[in-house]
Amino acid sequence: MTELTADDLRERWYQSEVSVPPISYWSVVRRRFLRNKLGVAALIVLILIIAAAVFAPWICPYDPLVGKPADRLQNIFSFSTGHPLGTDEQGRDMLTRVLYGGRLSLLAGFVPTLVAAVVGTIIGTWAGLVRGAVGAILMRIMDMLYAFPAILLAIAVGSSLGAGLSNTIIAVSIVFIPPVSRIAESETRKIVTSEYVEAARLSGASRIRILRTQLLPNVLNEIIVYSSGLVGVAMIIAASLSFLGLGSRPPTPEWGYMLESLQGDIYVVPAVVAVPGIFIFLTSVTFNTASDALREAMDTRLG
Amino acid sequence: MTTAATDAPPILAVDGVTKTFRARAGLHRVRISAVDNVSFTVPAGSTLGIVGESGCGKSTLARVIVGLHRADAGTVRFAGTPLPRRGKRSRTIVEHTQMVFQDPYSALNPRASVGESIGFPLKVQGVPRPDIDRRVNKVLEDVGLHPAYSTHYPHQLSGGQRQRVNIARALVLEPKLVVLDEAVSALDKSIQAQIVNLLLDLQSGYDLTYVFISHDLNVVEYMSDQVAVMYLGQVVEFCDASMLYQAPLHPYSQMLLSSIPTLDPTQRAENVLADSGDIPSPLNPPSGCRFRTRCPFAMDICADKAPAMIEARPQHSVSCHLFDREYGDPARIAATKGE
Amino acid sequence: MIQLTLRRLAMAMLILFGVSVVIFLLMNVLPGDPVATLLGPDASNADRLALRHSLGLDKPLPTQYVDWLGRTLTGDLGYSQYRRAEVLSLINAAWVNTAILAGFSALFGLVAGVALGFAAGARRGKVVDKVISTFGMAGLSIPSFFVAIILLTFFAARWRWLPAGGTSLSGAGQGGLGEFVRHLIMPVVAGSLVTLAITARVTRASIVEAYQADFVETLRAKGLTGLQILRHVFKNALSPVLTTSGLQIGYLLGGSVLIETIFQWPGIGLLLYNAIEARDLVVVEGTTLVIAGTFVLINLLVDLLQAVIDPRQRYALA
Repeated sequence: MTELTADDLRERWYQSEVSVPPISYWSVVRRRFLRNKLGVAALIVLILIIAAAVFAPWICPYDPLVGKPADRLQNIFSFSTGHPLGTDEQGRDMLTRVLYGGRLSLLAGFVPTLVAAVVGTIIGTWAGLVRGAVGAILMRIMDMLYAFPAILLAIAVGSSLGAGLSNTIIAVSIVFIPPVSRIAESETRKIVTSEYVEAARLSGASRIRILRTQLLPNVLNEIIVYSSGLVGVAMIIAASLSFLGLGSRPPTPEWGYMLESLQGDIYVVPAVVAVPGIFIFLTSVTFNTASDALREAMDTRLG
Repeated sequence: MTTAATDAPPILAVDGVTKTFRARAGLHRVRISAVDNVSFTVPAGSTLGIVGESGCGKSTLARVIVGLHRADAGTVRFAGTPLPRRGKRSRTIVEHTQMVFQDPYSALNPRASVGESIGFPLKVQGVPRPDIDRRVNKVLEDVGLHPAYSTHYPHQLSGGQRQRVNIARALVLEPKLVVLDEAVSALDKSIQAQIVNLLLDLQSGYDLTYVFISHDLNVVEYMSDQVAVMYLGQVVEFCDASMLYQAPLHPYSQMLLSSIPTLDPTQRAENVLADSGDIPSPLNPPSGCRFRTRCPFAMDICADKAPAMIEARPQHSVSCHLFDREYGDPARIAATKGE
Repeated sequence: MIQLTLRRLAMAMLILFGVSVVIFLLMNVLPGDPVATLLGPDASNADRLALRHSLGLDKPLPTQYVDWLGRTLTGDLGYSQYRRAEVLSLINAAWVNTAILAGFSALFGLVAGVALGFAAGARRGKVVDKVISTFGMAGLSIPSFFVAIILLTFFAARWRWLPAGGTSLSGAGQGGLGEFVRHLIMPVVAGSLVTLAITARVTRASIVEAYQADFVETLRAKGLTGLQILRHVFKNALSPVLTTSGLQIGYLLGGSVLIETIFQWPGIGLLLYNAIEARDLVVVEGTTLVIAGTFVLINLLVDLLQAVIDPRQRYALA
């Protein structure tokens, strides 16, 4: 055996230490998410629902708006007549309507969440950075909006704007902005005083640069986790507004509105009436499950 | 350890620095005096240790020195140039004064790779890309990490490795002055020793001046040429490190030193000074001498008049009435002269 | 403690003021002309101007707001042309019913939620935990109006066990306690499902976290039995549960619009729904104000209660 020099030892130590491949934060998150079977299953179902809704015009052989009155109120599993989920009170194919309706319901889930995430992050980060009077006033306005129960604020805004899906989307966006900006604000405050931002300031970086490279990536992390849980809530609020007659207007199918208009036939074909409700539930539950899994995967406490 | 080059011009001169924070307690606005009228100089190439209990203003002072906080009064001079009270610090000062932070975990951006974190100051200063890579690799090797670590993320590293990365980030601009704020306190003892020795190696290699802040007296003694003892925002004793550890003058310094566990049984009985109370709130510091509420030798004068810095011995200043000719303890004064 | 109370009270007043501004703006600035609604499309321009003037709508907005706030504070919430009644008297007649429904829903949702969450948290990772967690996730994701429809289908329509709607308190149907409870069951279950689910989730998370705290280790070392430890854990886990319960009562009040509509429960929610249908904005304004105001006051109470129970909160809130 040959004598090892100090440099050889050092080299070996380096080799063994560095054999760990670099893993970025997001690859850790992905790996941890994929390990969560329930979360992955939820994500797959969710992707199937979204894809079916998006591609509804190419999948569905029926017209979502016009049906054959002769075929009205067929029960579910009417495979012989070609209506696996039955038909509604006007003889329209339920599967077609549910998939078309999913486009609006998913839109009503995604758009407000996205709008609130963007606007809320801007407001919250701004308020957390400038402090002072402007920040305080912004956050107090958010507190005031937050003082409304979510669905009540949505109803108030919706009834003031009038019925219609776009108004519902505006209403739900307004409801979501306050909680998002609160999170962005508290997260910003926490990060601004962190030592890595101090280190960045020490290197003479401008405020904008620190905002872009140090602050935003870390604030967005929290926002992503929180917002992912909002999509399901947004869908339920939008469906509730439709159910109350404040959401999408007939004849455009939307899950909440479909449930409302079918309500009268619940004694005839209860299973058909339940279809839109089940879809709201299924989408919302998969969203929430996937969001929980994402939260667990992202809360890596890695630093 | 390098010895203080006494004839060189001071690289850092802190003169009468005061920092007060405004805060709210209940409905009242209050002022917290974090650093109060602190002055000292640090010769180039030496290490100044600053010791004191937590909350004594050490970290605030560190941030004032590097310019993260602006002093309310007094000046900080770097190699003769005063730090601007407001506005941007000049590029020379940015490049030449850096800081290593206490917490190896929160001092690194979790979303940035090691190379990005270390290269960030270079990027800000407009260094071209290939030069950044080269300098990052070099500084990584200098702190004892393989250059391959530059693609790693903080969560993959141990506490000691993270602190090496923090040190590398401070050194990459090749500064003259590095403020180490409790830089080894959060580490395990064995890692602490490695990092302390690394810091000493780097000091000679990079020709650095350190301000080494810690509550750990043993490490400060090992690292420092001179030591400042801080209590509630004020420097109460300033002298050579060896002098402080052999013959501390201020009752607070004596109390701190007697609290160090020692293995030498002959030293144990000496200098045992019981701690007589908690640190008063910086919101409402005691009148006169701030230490008097815990001081076993407190006199009437201590409540009325704040003691001034007195050079009780050559190169050894203390802020205590016990060493004052007018009010002091003649035996103590004689003892200092007798040496 | 007194200082804290005063401070929170001042904060609540400020928020109430903001709430009133938000509602006023929603009802007065956003599109939709109350004059056109009142007079119909055939009215002449002169009539419109006259009505605008008599309603004070030609004054500048801040003046309108101050007038409105002044009237509101003296209890004058306006007159509903549609219902031919004072808004305040409509709300007065309705709020007891809403308080009963929301009160029982809160009681049921919170008690059952804490119990389930506690059971899941104490048996973390076991079958009980998995069943309860799944149930909690489902309860969170299901729209309350869908639950209501399902309940109605089976319990009212198919099996005829429970009345489909209304309350035994008003009108002729005075059936004593039994009848009162029978009317209450379905609205309470449908309305409190989300509350139950959220409370269970929060309680579970809070119990699990409390179990990981250092003090549990100390208790174990002291030789306390599992049950004794559980008691300590429960006490420490209560605070987040209390926080969420304040919010939950607010959601119940907001959700009452749906539940009361479906079950024809004559409360504020049903009043609001009917007002929305008829575009009766005065009533929408009044009911929204009352619900939001109640929500603010309940959260104030919860905050103060929390400060009494958990001394740490006193510092956190101050």
